[in-house]
Formats: sequence, structure tokens, C-alpha cells
Amino acid sequence: MEPEKYKYLIIGGGAAGTSAADTIRQQDASGTIAIVSDEIHPLYSRVMLSKPSFFLGKIPFDQIWLKGKEWYDNNRIIFIGGKMAVSLDAKQKILVLSDGRQIGYEKLLLATGVRTKKWTVPGGDKKSIYSLRTLEDGQAIMEAIKTAKKTLVIGGGFIGFEMADLCKLAGLDTTMILRESYFWEPTLDRASGEMIETALQKSRIKIIKNSEVVEVLGNESATGVILKDGTKLDCEMIITGIGVVPPDLEFLQKEGIATRNSILSNEYMETSASDIWTAGDIAEYKDLLLEENIQLGNWVNAHEQGRIAGLNMAASASAPATAGQSKTPFKFVSFYTTQGAGLTVAFVGDVRPLPNRQVVLRGSPEINSYARILIVDNPSTNSGREELVGATLINRSSELTTIAKLIENNVDVSAHISELSDPNFVLKQLLK
Amino acid sequence: MANIKEYVRNKEGSNISKIVVDRDLCIGAASCIAVSGATYELDNENKAVVIGADAADDATLMMSAESCPTKAILLYDKSGNKVFPK
Repeated sequence: MEPEKYKYLIIGGGAAGTSAADTIRQQDASGTIAIVSDEIHPLYSRVMLSKPSFFLGKIPFDQIWLKGKEWYDNNRIIFIGGKMAVSLDAKQKILVLSDGRQIGYEKLLLATGVRTKKWTVPGGDKKSIYSLRTLEDGQAIMEAIKTAKKTLVIGGGFIGFEMADLCKLAGLDTTMILRESYFWEPTLDRASGEMIETALQKSRIKIIKNSEVVEVLGNESATGVILKDGTKLDCEMIITGIGVVPPDLEFLQKEGIATRNSILSNEYMETSASDIWTAGDIAEYKDLLLEENIQLGNWVNAHEQGRIAGLNMAASASAPATAGQSKTPFKFVSFYTTQGAGLTVAFVGDVRPLPNRQVVLRGSPEINSYARILIVDNPSTNSGREELVGATLINRSSELTTIAKLIENNVDVSAHISELSDPNFVLKQLLK
Repeated sequence: MANIKEYVRNKEGSNISKIVVDRDLCIGAASCIAVSGATYELDNENKAVVIGADAADDATLMMSAESCPTKAILLYDKSGNKVFPK
């Protein structure tokens, strides 16, 4: 018997996979499409899980759903939920699911997403310890904060920042424990980190830096922790935001697909195997603006990469001979923003503080409006040109789009460095 | 009262005549900007504002609203009917 087969098969039902399916359907009205997801839900808003309006019930729960069943039906997209992909035959083009079901494909997209890192400290698997990735994770935390009075938040990244803020808004006694000596070290500078810290402290969130939990106390549930300096803290629940890991990629490696802690792709989101693409948090793609491979997981990237992968999958299916000419590259200045404790924080482009980068400071913590603009000498022969590669913005989100355009258009700012450091200088003038 | 901001659109040949941003829902994910930087930007409160209501065609505008992870962008046609989200 012939296995079940689809023209386009997508592993992953999140932002990247769904955006790809949507795009493919716009390009190819009749090709069969299926999405395999390890979650049972249609597309929902993962980013909303850590936002106060949703978390504290200010908006209806149903606002979380971004696509209803009718969307899949109307677009003739088969949704296979609650199933994992466990093996692949890239030659025969057959994917096998956790229940043994075999699915053939012509074009395959790997948009698996990533998973939250397990907390490996002794006692780190007790009840009342939560991480945030899925809708069920979010619901479990929402339920727990209804009765808990005291929580610890482990990790000072985006999730830690947002979760601490909303636990406090929910009325819990909240303490954050960070390994670093300031927030987002070393991506931010100390001054930015301290602005975030001051804002959180004003919200009466306690912060313990340069520290780590060495043991979780309690029987079934966590009732406290011991820190590496021996300090003992009580709690009724713990939320960890300690980073992400890839899902099992071994079955892909076996088929010759290049992976690291990621799936590697070129600028067209093509993996090293023919007729297989990748997109979203799991993709480590060739960034055309930076001319290197990077992995940058966020909603906007997932959505855009899914769209590009979808375009390229449909193009290669419709005209294999001319596919080379009809490929669309992923060329995009990414950004991510968050807000909490009365602050807005935005990252634009590449914000790694590498040695060859000049950092121009704009505004200051004192005026509660502070940006860092990262600049490099143009690596090409046009020496003397200086261009933006990224920026971190605190309470200056309004400059995000302009900075993204300055990066995208490779605008030479060598004659404007002192203006960049003037917080009142209107950046848009540089686009003219 | 919801904290919403309305932007009138007068683009010739367009079926969409109003863009609405629900500022209570908007979280500044900026996916709308990724789709159409000519239409939107963020303000310092991290909320999307419309800077060019007529800048994009209808399909792009639909895409920008669909990309929003909080459904904070609402689109209306000339008769006042909501075309997104349906």
C-alpha cells in the first residue's frame, strides 16, 4: 500500500510552520499540505503567554488562538496534532511519526521550534517548578499564582524579566536569581542592566545577582532553595527561564542534514539536504546582512522565515528547472521588544558586543531613555565607511524602525557619530 | 473603554478604509513592522502606530494584521464591516 503522501509536509505548527503553510497555499492553490505538530492545538500566540494582559485575565482567554479549525479547513491544510516526527528517509522521502504512521512528501519543512532547558540542580524536578514554552505550561503557571504567595524566578533573560514582572503584578512576593552580575550581561552594558534592575526594584521585585541555586528543598513540591553561598530562601513555586535546547535532531543527522544545536540553512532557508527547508527558532541561517550563520529565535523571525521557506518550497515545486532564479532570500533586520516594570526594552539587528564594534551611547539612565548603537567599519574595501549593525533601546522603541532601515540600507554614518550620541537628534534625517 | 486608535485610509482602489490598533492588546512584537515598515512604527510605549495608512496595498495590510501575535490590528472596509480578524 502506498503511504499517505502530501506535496508539502511541515513539521511544526507554530509561527514558522503555519506562516509557511499559509504562504504555500497562496502560491499553490491545489498542492496538498499537512502540518505535523507535537502540540494538539492549532496556531496560538506563544508570545502572549508571558504578557500581563493575557496572564492576568484582562483579555479573554480565547484571544490566544490565532487560527481556528476553519482556517485549516478553508485552506485545505491537514493538521496532524499531538504527534512527533521520529524518523526520516530523505531518499524515499518518507517521514515516520511517533505512532508509526508513515507520511510521504515532495517538499519538507523542519520548523520544529526549540524546547526549554531542563533545570538540572538537585530537586529541580519537584512539583511547583515551572518553565514556559507551551500553552499548558502557561496555564499551569496561571493556576499556580492564584494560590501561591511567594515565588522565585530563575534567570534574568526575557522570560525571567517578563515572568517576574507579572508574578509581582499578580501580587506575589517575587525574587529573581541571576547568575550574571547585571541583567542581560554581556549583551547589554552595565548601565542598561542597572536601569532594568532599578525599575524591577521599584516594583518591589527582589534581585539576587552573581548567584545560583545549588539545591531545591521540599518533599513533593518546592518549598525553598539553597544558593551557592549557603543562603536559604523560602518559596511556594519557582519559574525557570534558563534558556532553550533543540529537540532530538539525531534522526535528521542520520540522513545527512547538517545540524549543530540547530538545523543549518543557507539564506533561502534550504538545509543541506535536497527538498528540505528549515525555519523558525531551530534554524541557524545565513544572515545576508552579517554574512555569517546565526540562530535568533523570536516571533518576527519565525513568521518571516516561514514565509520565505514557503515561497521557496512552492517555487521549487512549480518550476524545478528555473528554481534557481525564482528563489527568495531571507534578508531581514530582526528585532525583539519587551516591556515590564514600566520600561520598554528593544533589541534591533545584531547586538553582540564584539571587539570590532564601536558602541555609541544615546541618552542616559538619568533621563530614563538610553540607547546603545553598535557600529562597525564596513568590512568591504570602502574603508572609512561606518555602518550600524544593531542597537539596544531602553524607552526608545520609537527609533526601532529607523535603526532597522539604517542597518538594512547600509547607511554610512561616519560623519554623524556625534549626532548619533545626541538623544534629541532625529535619526530619520539620516535616511534622507 | 478600550484603548484604541483609529487611522483612516484613503487609498485609491482599496477596500480597506480604516486601520485600528488596539493599544491594550499590542505588545510591541513588531511583526506588523516586519511586514510593512512603511505602514507602522512603534512609539516609546512600545505600541504600534500607523505612520502611512495608504502606504501598503490591501494584501500587504492583511498580511500585517494576520502576523500580529495578539490580534491587535483590526481592519475595516468602506461599509464599516470588520474584514480582520473575522
